[in-house]
Amino acid sequence: MILRIAQKEITETLRDGRFRASAAIVFTLLAASLLLGWRHHAEVSAQHNAARQSTRNQWLNQGKKNPHSAAHYGVYAFKPNSPLALVDHGTNDYTGVAVWLEAHKQNEFKYRPAQDATSVQRFGELTGAAVLQLLVPLLIILLAFDAFSGERELGTLRQLLSLGVKPGSLTAGKSLGISASLLMLLVPAAALGSLAISAASSSGEITGALPRAAWMTLGYLLYYGALIGVTLAVSALASSSRTALIALLGFWMLNALVAPRAASDIAKSLRPAPSAFEFAQTIESAMKNGIDGHDPAAERTSRLKQDLLKKYNVSRIEDLPVNFTGVSLQEGENHGNAVYDRVFGQLWKTFAEQETIHRTVALFAPGLATRSVSMAFAGADFSHHAHFATAAEEYRRGIQRTMNDDIMRNAGKSGPYLAADELWSKVSAFDYKSPDAGWVLQQQGPALLILSVWCVLAIAAAYWAVGRLRVF
Amino acid sequence: MLLRLMSFEWRNLSADRTPVAVALLLAVAIGYGAWNGSRWVNFQKQAIASAQAEEQERLDSIRKDIPKIVDGSLKVSPFQDPRMPATVGRSTGVRYAILPPAPLAALAIGQSDLYPYYFKVTTGSSQTFMTNDEIEHPVHLLAGRFDLAFVVLFLYPLVILAFSYNLISGEKESGTLALMLSQPVSLGKLVLAKILLRAGFLIVLSIVLGLVGIAIGGADFQVPGALTRLLFWILITSAYGAFWFALAVAVNAFGKSSAANAIVLAGLWLLFVVVTPSLLNIVVEAAHPAPSRVEMIQAIRTAGDTASRQGSQLLARYLEDHPELAPPQEAGKGGPPDFATLQVAVSDATDRSVKPVLDQFEGQIAAQQNLVDRLRYLSPAIVAQSALNDIAGSGAQRYGHFTSQVNAFHVKWREYFFPRTLKKEMFTVDDVAGIPAFVYREESIESLAGRLAGSVAGLLVPVVVVALFSFLALRRFTVVN
Repeated sequence: MILRIAQKEITETLRDGRFRASAAIVFTLLAASLLLGWRHHAEVSAQHNAARQSTRNQWLNQGKKNPHSAAHYGVYAFKPNSPLALVDHGTNDYTGVAVWLEAHKQNEFKYRPAQDATSVQRFGELTGAAVLQLLVPLLIILLAFDAFSGERELGTLRQLLSLGVKPGSLTAGKSLGISASLLMLLVPAAALGSLAISAASSSGEITGALPRAAWMTLGYLLYYGALIGVTLAVSALASSSRTALIALLGFWMLNALVAPRAASDIAKSLRPAPSAFEFAQTIESAMKNGIDGHDPAAERTSRLKQDLLKKYNVSRIEDLPVNFTGVSLQEGENHGNAVYDRVFGQLWKTFAEQETIHRTVALFAPGLATRSVSMAFAGADFSHHAHFATAAEEYRRGIQRTMNDDIMRNAGKSGPYLAADELWSKVSAFDYKSPDAGWVLQQQGPALLILSVWCVLAIAAAYWAVGRLRVF
Repeated sequence: MLLRLMSFEWRNLSADRTPVAVALLLAVAIGYGAWNGSRWVNFQKQAIASAQAEEQERLDSIRKDIPKIVDGSLKVSPFQDPRMPATVGRSTGVRYAILPPAPLAALAIGQSDLYPYYFKVTTGSSQTFMTNDEIEHPVHLLAGRFDLAFVVLFLYPLVILAFSYNLISGEKESGTLALMLSQPVSLGKLVLAKILLRAGFLIVLSIVLGLVGIAIGGADFQVPGALTRLLFWILITSAYGAFWFALAVAVNAFGKSSAANAIVLAGLWLLFVVVTPSLLNIVVEAAHPAPSRVEMIQAIRTAGDTASRQGSQLLARYLEDHPELAPPQEAGKGGPPDFATLQVAVSDATDRSVKPVLDQFEGQIAAQQNLVDRLRYLSPAIVAQSALNDIAGSGAQRYGHFTSQVNAFHVKWREYFFPRTLKKEMFTVDDVAGIPAFVYREESIESLAGRLAGSVAGLLVPVVVVALFSFLALRRFTVVN
C-alpha cells in the first residue's frame, strides 16, 4: 500500500509542469555552481602552489644575512582550498588568504576575497551550498505543501480515507514519493558533485575528501527529512493549501533569511569580540608591560641577564659561552608567544562561544545547523581557518627558534654575524595537513544531533498530524 | 468614487487580522534593523575615538620627551629617538586617516563591515597599513547584518506580497468580486483603489517607522546633505515598494488561484532578490576577475627584494633626481649611508615597481563596479541595494573616495618626511604641530544626488511598465469562470 501511494505521488509529481520546471532550474543552477566551483578551485590551487613554491625559493635563496634579518624577512603561508570547498565556500571569502610569518609578531591573515568583489556579492553567491540550503528546501515546500490539503480540496481525501488506508501508510507513502522525486534531482547532482570533487582533489586529498563528503551528505539528508516532515505536517494541519503554503514560506524565510542574521546579532551582543583597535592595544601593552602589566620589557631583559650570568657563573656578558643577543631574542619570542597565545586564545574562545550561541539558535532553525555541518565538512569554516592559523604560527615559532639558536651558538662575541644558505635549508618547507573527518565530527556532533532530532520529530509530527486528519 | 472605494477597502482591511499582524511584524523588524544599524555606527565611532585619543597621547608624549632628550635626562636608542624624522614618520608621529560614518550611516551597514574605516598612515608602503580589518567572526560577515537595508531589501517585499498576493483572487474565491462588480464600478478602478490603499498604508508605515528608528538611533541631521540623503531614502523605499505592489497586481491579473499567485510571486521574489544578484555576481567576476592577491604578495616581495639588493645604487639615483636632498657630508665620514637614508630610496623604488600591480587591482574592481552599475537595472533589488548603501555612505563609492584621499595623503606624508630624513633634520617640539593631518572631505552632494536619481528612475520605470501591463491584462480578466 505504501509503495502504491508513493508510486502515485511520483507519477503525479513528474506530470506536474511546475515541478518539472523548477526542478530543471534548480538542477541547472546546481550544475552551474559546481562547474564554477571546480574552475575557481583549480585556479586558486594553481596560484597557491606557485606562491608556496616561490615563497620557499625566496627563503632559501636570500643569500648571506644575519639570521635575525632572515627572521624579519620571513615567509608567507597561503591557506589552501579544500576540494570540497567547491560545493561550499563557507567563510572562505571572508577570511584572509595569506599570513606573513615574521619575527616578533603573530600577524593576522590578510586579503579577504570579498573585499575584492562588489556589494552584489552580499546578496549571496551562487554555490552548491546556496542551492542546497536555499532552493532545494523551497522545492520541497513546492512539492509537498498541498500533499493533504490539496487532496482535501479536490475531494479525493474522502475517497482515500474511505478505502481504509491507515494514516501511517498514507504518511509513509507520501514521504516516500516526495523523497523519491527529490532524489531524482539530487542523485545526479551528487554524482556530478563527486565527479567535480575527485577532479579537483590531488591523489593525497581524495582519501580525506570521501568521508567528509559522506558526512556532509548525511547532514543534508537529515535536513531534507526534517523539511519533508514539517511540510507534510503543516499540509495536514492547515485549513487550506493557501494557508499551508503561506505558513511554509514564512518558515522558510525565518529559517533561511532571518535566523542566520539573528544568530549573529545575538551572539555579538552576548559575547562581543573586541574591536581591532582594542585588540592591537592589548597586544602592544602586554608586549611592553608584561602580560599582567607589571613586568616591563627592561626588567625582563635585566632579569634574563642576571639569570644567565648566574647560570654560567660569570660576571660579564662577554664571558658567556653563548651569544646574549640570541638568548635575548628567543626570550623575547617566548614572551611574545605567551602574549599571543593569550590574546588569540581569548579571541578564539569568544568566537567559539559565539558559535555555541549560533547552535542554540539552530535548535529553532535547522537551516543554521545545516550551514554549520556543510561548511565544516567542506573545510571552509572558522575552525579550519584557526587550524591552519595555528599550524602556520607553530611553523613561525619554529623558524624563530632555529634562527635564534643559530645566533646563540655561532654569532660569537663581536662583529656582524652572517649566516649562509645551509641555515635557511635547516628550516623545512611548511607542509600543512588539513584535519580529518573525525576531527570535524567532534565539533559538528551537536549540529548533527540537532538535525537528527529535527528529522525524527518532524516525521513524528507528520504521522501525528495525518492521524488526526479531517476530511473537512 | 476612488476615495469611497478606498475607504471601503480600509474598513475591509482593518476587519482582517492578518494585515495587522503582518504590519506589526514589519514594525518590529524595522525598529530592530534601525537600532542594529545605529549600534554598529556607535561601535565605529567608539573605535575612531579611541584611535584619536591614542594619537593625541602619543604626540603629547613626544612633546614631553624631546626636551628631556635634549637636556640629557632621558636616554633612548637612536631607533626610538622621537627627534629622528624617520622614526617620527614611521612610528611615533604617525596619524590616523579616518573615514567618519556618514550622517545616515545607520540606514545600511552595507560594505562598512568589510572595509577598514581608519588607517595608520606611515612612510612605509601603503600595503603595510591599508589592511587593518575589523575583527569579526567570518560567519557573521557571510550571513550579513539584520539592518534596515536587509529589512527593506528582503523582508519588506515579502510583507508586501503577503499583503497583496490575493488582492483580486481572494475576492474572486470568496465570491465577493462578482458582487462588487455588479455595482457601477469598473474592475480597473476597484483594483486601483485596493492597491493604492494597501500600498499607501504599508509604504507610509515603513517610512515612518524607519525614520523614527534612525532618529532614535542618533542620526545627525545637522550635517550638510543629511536631508538630501533622507529624501532619497524615502524615494527609493517608496519606489521599491511600489514595484512589488505592481508585480502583485500583474500576477493577480492573470486570474489564477490565490495559491498559484503565491507560488508565482514567491518565485519572482526569489528571481529578483536571490537568483539575479548571484548570477550578476558570476557575470561580473567572469568579465573582470580580480587579480590574485596571492600573486600580488609575491610581486610586492620580489620588488622589495630587488630594491633592497640595489639599495645604494637606488639611493645614488634617487639623489641624482633630488640633489637638493643630499645629506650634508660629514667631515671625515665617507662610510656607507645609514639604514633610514637607504630606506627612503628603497621604499620609493619598491612602491614605484609595485604600482602597476596595485593599479591592476583598482582597475579591475572599478571595472566590476562599472558593470554592476550598468547591469543593476536587471533587478530592482540590486538597484535598491546599491542606492541604499550609497545613501548611508557604506558602499563602494564613498569608500573609494576615502581611499583615494588616503593615497594622496600618503604621498604628502612621504613628501614631508623623506626630505627631512635625508637631511637628518631633527624634530623639535614646535615641529610636532606641523606634522600633516588627514581630514576626510565628503563627496559633493550633487554627484551623490546624480547617481541616486538614476536609481530612482531605475525603479520607477519598471513600476510604470508593470502597472501598464497589469491594466492591459485586467481588461481580459474573467470574473466568473
